[in-house]
Amino acid sequence: MNTMAHQQRALWGLLSAPVLVLAAFFAIPMAVVAVASFGDAAGRFTLAQYAKILLDQYHWEVLATTLRIAALTTVWCLLLGFPLAYYLVRLVRWRLWRRVCVILLITPLFTSNVVRSFGWMVLLGRNGMVNDGLLAAGLVERPVRWLGTEAGILIGMVYVLLPFVVLAVGNALAAVDDRLEQASADLGAGPYATFMHITLPLCMPGVIGGAVMVFTLAISAYVTPALLSGGRVTVFSMLIFQQYSSVFDFHYGGALSMTLLVITLLLVALAGRLAPRETAP
Amino acid sequence: MIARLLPGLVTRLIAWAGLIYLVVPLAVIIGSSFTATSYLAFPPKGLSLTWYLAMLQDPSYGRAFAISTALAAVATLAAVLLAVPAALAMARYRFAGRDLLSSFFMSPLVLPHVVLGAAILQCAASIGLVRSVGALLAGHVVIVMPLVLRSVLPLLTPEQRALEEASMDLGAGPFTTFFLVVVPQIRGGLVSGAVLAFISSWINVELSIFSTTAELTTIPVKLFNYVQYTVDPTIAAVSAVTILVAASSIVLLDLLVGLDVLAERR
Repeated sequence: MNTMAHQQRALWGLLSAPVLVLAAFFAIPMAVVAVASFGDAAGRFTLAQYAKILLDQYHWEVLATTLRIAALTTVWCLLLGFPLAYYLVRLVRWRLWRRVCVILLITPLFTSNVVRSFGWMVLLGRNGMVNDGLLAAGLVERPVRWLGTEAGILIGMVYVLLPFVVLAVGNALAAVDDRLEQASADLGAGPYATFMHITLPLCMPGVIGGAVMVFTLAISAYVTPALLSGGRVTVFSMLIFQQYSSVFDFHYGGALSMTLLVITLLLVALAGRLAPRETAP
Repeated sequence: MIARLLPGLVTRLIAWAGLIYLVVPLAVIIGSSFTATSYLAFPPKGLSLTWYLAMLQDPSYGRAFAISTALAAVATLAAVLLAVPAALAMARYRFAGRDLLSSFFMSPLVLPHVVLGAAILQCAASIGLVRSVGALLAGHVVIVMPLVLRSVLPLLTPEQRALEEASMDLGAGPFTTFFLVVVPQIRGGLVSGAVLAFISSWINVELSIFSTTAELTTIPVKLFNYVQYTVDPTIAAVSAVTILVAASSIVLLDLLVGLDVLAERR
């Protein structure tokens, strides 16, 4: 009944619209940027844009800042997110409370980065609650300057990206059969050994998945660093934004975009290799 | 004894700290939006709705809210209309380049939004459509489509396929089958994908900022441009409204499909 030709027609009927839309609004624009990055104002082929990026000390410094913030964000997200995920999946016994916690976890995720970073602008200000608290506790003598420092950006970035780690790790943890942990305990392993040899390895895909997601989102983040840097710290996405919004150099901007894209794709590919393949069903 | 209880205690403490950390910034915004002072104060000094009135009296906020909502609704509708056929094709057929096509459909998820925004700006500039509704919408459709695809695809299982074939064997036409059999089966994924798509579009700044103007602006972009220069209680009121929208969509999602994330599966 279903001939090959019939199937082909059905397949094309289903795929033509999505393929055309993504080609027109995604593949072609990306190709235009890629082509522009290898050209100059006169339309000649040149690698000058990339040379400008790779040979300039400033770009390396910005890249180093971006990667440092992204790496620290990832580490802090894991340090905070893993215990929170474990708590939500394993330790909370009262289902209503877990529901409330999940809503508290997802509400920030459904709120714009602008609003969330704005909250930290208020909290981290010179007379904000954080400084008030630190002064009242006698931990500092003068208000600490948070806004415009990497520490301030880091606080905001971890806040923005934490829910991703909690969800990724939590979903992996929820899928771990706790009978395996009980078996480990029955066989004489202590809680620490059980955690290190059973629980952690089994939810490793979630940990790696969450970490990669946070890292890739962190290196391309624009809003949070822009609002919390006060113009004092520059990250890579700000360079791209400057070129497209005020300088209008599409060739240099294109090369910057391609650089960020390649770094992101390399990381995603690397993570694909790192993530342990699931062998057991 | 202490050694046995300590890990659980430390985990709880970190988790509670994490929850407080998640709640405080939003609570501060909501709290300070009710202040009676002309500057941001938390805890609020006095209790007034002055800043909500100020927001309502400025038509540019209403306009930005309307643009954001319309944009998110159209982008979501387009994403559903594109992603469902794509998901059906992926689930039903084995064809050359299927894996490649799948990566292509999903790639906007890992793509830096700043890069896509810049690309769309440059393309739109070359055809004279820079900073237009079309440019804005195009980018939003690209970034939200994979969200719908990702939540619908896992539901198109062989069991689902069997029911669909049964419906066809019993004489229902393809359209009847699609709406009466397939749609109810993928409803959960469709709803959660659509809510995610709507919200992702609604809160986007990094992509929208390349296609907005003073007139054509979405609420998060308007907030972003404002907050960079001044912070005042009106902004807190507008922000509080967006938090309310976020919380409402989560409740809606919970009622429609149930938030079963992080529950232990036994």
